[in-house]
Amino acid sequence: MAIEIPTLPEQLPTSAPRFVGKEVNRIEDPALVSGTVEFIDNLSLPGMLHCAILRSPHPHARVIKVDTRAAAALEGVEAVLTGEDVGRWCAPAFTAPEGWGSYCMAVDKVRFVGEPVAAVAATSRYLAEDALELIQVEYELLTPVANPDEAMAPGAPLLFEERGTNVIQSREYTWGEIDRVFADADRVVSRKFRWNRVGANPTETFGCICQWDLADNSLTCRGAYQTPRFMGLGRAASLKLPANKVRIITHAQGGGFGGKGGPRGTDIAALLSRKADGRPVKYIEDRMEYLLAGGGQSWDRYYDAALALQADGTVTGFKVRLVDDQGAGAEGYGTISAAKPLAAFTGNYRIEAASYDLTLVATNRAPTYPYRGYGPPPHNLVLESLMDIAARELAVDPAELRRRNYIRPEQFPYTVPSGNEYDSGNYAAVLDRVLEMADYRALREAQAKARAEGRLVGIGVVSTVEPGVFDWNAYATVGVPGVGVPEGVKVAVDVLGNVTVAVGFNLQGQGQFTVAAQVVADYLGVDMNAVKVATASTDVAMPHFGQGGSRLGVAVTGAILGACEKLKQTFCLLVAHLMHTGPEQVELMNGRLQLKGAPEHGMSIAEVAGVMLARSDLLPPGMEPCPEATFVWTAPNRNLPDDQGRCRSYLTAANATHIAQIEIDRHTGQVKILGYFIVDDCGTRLNPASVEGQLQGGVAQGVGAALFEEYVYDPQAQPLVTTFVDYLIPTIHEVPMTTKDHLVTPSPFAPLGAKGCGEGAIHTTPATLMCAINDALSPLGLEILETPASPHRLWKLLHGHGAA
Amino acid sequence: MKPAPFDYYAPETLPEAIALMARLENEGCDAKILAGGQSLMPMLAMRVARPDALIDLRRLTALNHIAEHDGIIAIGAMATKRAAEESTLIRERQPLFHAATQLVGHRQIRNRGSVGGSFAHADPASEYPAVALVLDMEMQAVGEGGERLIPASEFFVTYMTTALEPGEILTEVRMPMLPAGTGWAIQEISRRNGDLALAGVALTLRFSGGLCADARIAAFGVDATAVRLTAAEDALAGQKPDAATFARVAAIAAASLAEPMSCIHASADYRRHLIGVLVERTLAEAAGRAR
Amino acid sequence: MTTMQKIHVTVNGKSHAREVEARLTLADFLRHELHLGGTHVGCEHGVCGVCTVLINGQSARSCLTLAVQADGANVTTVEGLRNRETGQLHPIQQAFVDAHGLQCGFCTPGFVMTTLELLGENPDPSDDEIKDALGGNLCRCTGYQSILESVRLAASRLQTTQSA
Repeated sequence: MAIEIPTLPEQLPTSAPRFVGKEVNRIEDPALVSGTVEFIDNLSLPGMLHCAILRSPHPHARVIKVDTRAAAALEGVEAVLTGEDVGRWCAPAFTAPEGWGSYCMAVDKVRFVGEPVAAVAATSRYLAEDALELIQVEYELLTPVANPDEAMAPGAPLLFEERGTNVIQSREYTWGEIDRVFADADRVVSRKFRWNRVGANPTETFGCICQWDLADNSLTCRGAYQTPRFMGLGRAASLKLPANKVRIITHAQGGGFGGKGGPRGTDIAALLSRKADGRPVKYIEDRMEYLLAGGGQSWDRYYDAALALQADGTVTGFKVRLVDDQGAGAEGYGTISAAKPLAAFTGNYRIEAASYDLTLVATNRAPTYPYRGYGPPPHNLVLESLMDIAARELAVDPAELRRRNYIRPEQFPYTVPSGNEYDSGNYAAVLDRVLEMADYRALREAQAKARAEGRLVGIGVVSTVEPGVFDWNAYATVGVPGVGVPEGVKVAVDVLGNVTVAVGFNLQGQGQFTVAAQVVADYLGVDMNAVKVATASTDVAMPHFGQGGSRLGVAVTGAILGACEKLKQTFCLLVAHLMHTGPEQVELMNGRLQLKGAPEHGMSIAEVAGVMLARSDLLPPGMEPCPEATFVWTAPNRNLPDDQGRCRSYLTAANATHIAQIEIDRHTGQVKILGYFIVDDCGTRLNPASVEGQLQGGVAQGVGAALFEEYVYDPQAQPLVTTFVDYLIPTIHEVPMTTKDHLVTPSPFAPLGAKGCGEGAIHTTPATLMCAINDALSPLGLEILETPASPHRLWKLLHGHGAA
Repeated sequence: MKPAPFDYYAPETLPEAIALMARLENEGCDAKILAGGQSLMPMLAMRVARPDALIDLRRLTALNHIAEHDGIIAIGAMATKRAAEESTLIRERQPLFHAATQLVGHRQIRNRGSVGGSFAHADPASEYPAVALVLDMEMQAVGEGGERLIPASEFFVTYMTTALEPGEILTEVRMPMLPAGTGWAIQEISRRNGDLALAGVALTLRFSGGLCADARIAAFGVDATAVRLTAAEDALAGQKPDAATFARVAAIAAASLAEPMSCIHASADYRRHLIGVLVERTLAEAAGRAR
Repeated sequence: MTTMQKIHVTVNGKSHAREVEARLTLADFLRHELHLGGTHVGCEHGVCGVCTVLINGQSARSCLTLAVQADGANVTTVEGLRNRETGQLHPIQQAFVDAHGLQCGFCTPGFVMTTLELLGENPDPSDDEIKDALGGNLCRCTGYQSILESVRLAASRLQTTQSA
């Protein structure tokens, strides 16, 4: 029987949802505030050893010799791993395009500072670090490639010699008649932008405990894994094991934001366990390792972009050329983040033609990894900055220019030139609400007054679309050809009516366990505290992906609804049998299976489960005694991309408009955020408090990217930011306390109408702040087109000390 | 990020500590003093500091005092910054030192970090050395040869280096009480609230007959040690305390700096400029307090 | 051997005598010797505040403190806050739950401990005072707004309890 997934909360089998849509407390929180959650470093296994990794101090060098004899001889050291072992036992990372992946440890050359060259397992981490100091490595230094210009210069040193080039990928997408709209344009605005490297930096770094079973030749990895099954497949490939011999047990994670990393550390710990006769080996990446070489660096980009406009302000074309510094190879899926902007290339606007010229380059910086938003935040900065520049040239209010170009409510579902379909939205209504909430007119009046006093006050009004519920098809053109991202659950009712939801992922902060409990409790009519959400290890879990791509809240909702629908169908069969009627006469409502039109005749979920498990004599012939159901959800109606990458990729399109009011201290270059306003629309808000939390957290990371955070490298590709003293995560002082409101335009396609919203404000905040800063600078005829807009950069600009 | 091994000593008395220092020195052992540890511990964790031995002064409770004698405020080297921050004596009688203390790190750092540790660590971006120059503070050092007082102008030698001899322990810092009518101010520019200063200025200012007199100005975060801005002080003498004067003096202050430090957050030019901005701002602030 | 030290530390009211390496940090001592894993570690160089505990009632970064420095001290960790009899959360913990003051929860014990110190000293802090107190604790998830609200909520509840 077909499984219908409800697309509105009203379709749930309850007279009124008690939990869905409510700001319920999160079920994960009592343990988290008590400090009793088992983060990976809280776990200790019998006989466990501790791994420390020796890392390259050179950005580019051949490894001539690694002498580990003294380290191996140190008391307490049980195993030492070098590139020689790795070359013998492993394959390079499969997450990179063919030929651009690295081994977990350098086998012949190092390509970035921080690349592992040896590792030890010892009885304590302290001892393991002592042992590293005894390892001698002989290097032959090679000329480093510090940036894409150097990488693409003729005769440049090559990172991967066998490739014959440092260009990982280069291609141009053309959507619509881009040349014609630019030729016909009344006005073209173009600029170059530089987005410097930022990254995830969850408060917990990556960690794992790996144990190689030498008898069975199988591997168990416990750790802070964001995407357990995918990680297991990767380990199987790199460690040359059958995939069903790698078991991943994922623990709660202290944040992830895409940049948790883990493949290299896991492989190294696993191989050390193999060398240490199968003793478990724990590896806890420390913060300096994370900053230097973890999964924490993203988006190192050079943009050259142009917007074509008609005299009335209609935007007709958007051209982007992107050179993306991927760092030392593409092991961290960095290629994907360059492709994701296809899902919302032209933002909130009706732009008929666009083009994207994409060049991904390898350099001797650390490899880039995913980070929340996965590519669009810099792209949005480019598009929205050009919108502002166009507005200034046309002397139109920037909010008004956006409104003129918005996709209109009646045009949904709307297919953008780059191929994706937006599900629903009302952008003008969102804009109206935020303009009203911020009292935009008063803000502009205050700005005029401040300007008259010589103060540099600016306002940014920025609209963005957040593609939600990622699908692999979005990345087909950069080498990931799949369609669909299965997310599976099992919903089980026990003999007393308690419900367990088994999922394939663990806590990471977004509150999906609570969402799961809300949905199942409302569907089955039980209390939330009767629901337990449990994580299954990869060997027994249903197909799953886990957190990523603003997807999991929607996907797990779909999976639970599907499983609940299946349960309901089985329960109806049983109850119909017991009541001597047809299943179509039985309905589920408020936790009871009851006769339609005679609700006093019915059974509770607990009674039905009890009969199933304890009274086989009452079951209809052939019915399994199993009040449990599994369901694997993937977004409906996805398709393969065409030769220009066009496809229905992300299922949902949330949107937001932010307004920031800032002031630049013209003497110091410091930026102060005076006010910050957000109105968003992500469809049904399953837990409004969690949605707000995602938004505000995205604001904080956006503030970081726009004003503070930057991985700086010197001209020899040496990283200069290796501590939290220099990587500037915003504190409570730097993040604005925002004023928020929202609209609800449900997705017609997604479970309960909820749209992906986990990336949230990081799509919008960097562009909003940069637009506000440029608005403040505009009376001086100055522009800053590089992030972050640090005080030093702004001061140089204001005081004419060269381009900022 | 785990410290390399070291020998650890926690002497019960100052003489015991001094004797231990001397013995270890004689044995060629690289011993370091551990006070609050808030600057030393990160260096140990990164293994950029690898002493053979640590001498922990935590048992020397006699060095926790904050007291006034004959118009001089004395702070024991092991008194925490938190204690200094909460001292009514300091807040009321030496508000510049109080304000500087509040600018140090965050509360967890001030709770553990000792006043003496910051002086001995001599980080050029920290507030205390500049305040020490402005207030003409004196540091009491005790070694096998006895005790001596080192004026601030001689104490801070260069980057993280003081005039303390091997075997000497900093036991106390001393400062005068702020004379009535003296204006003061300390301001700094940092990337985030609580970060080390990219540039900072501390100063005191008096008026005589309505004109500026006796200004003492020091900059921090710009050179290998905190520096007195004597050209600016001189230029201020006898001038009217108005915006034009302060702007002029600020320009002199900025110009008077030798080559300032440069880092990823701030170039030398930017630091020089910031010192000018801060001198102007702190002069205005101090003038508001002076009578 | 001077690298090993005997220490006596009272943690959450319970006294512990141990011999530890002098170089062992208090954070590692609490986590791996006493198995009090609620004190997390985020940077090990004194910036993030994730490892905040109270030493003799004052907030401290346990990564910047050696275990030997806590000899003779009273240490309070997040495990010491729940009511041992009833399991009930401390009002500060409950406020963080109720005001959604956490997401991944990794930094939360540090925020809770700093808040405990703050509200002990200043039962009715202003927003600026709260920000000053929490400025040394990094959170990468929440954007701090709900944390600020949690502390306000905790303060108002504790005051109500005390005046009742």
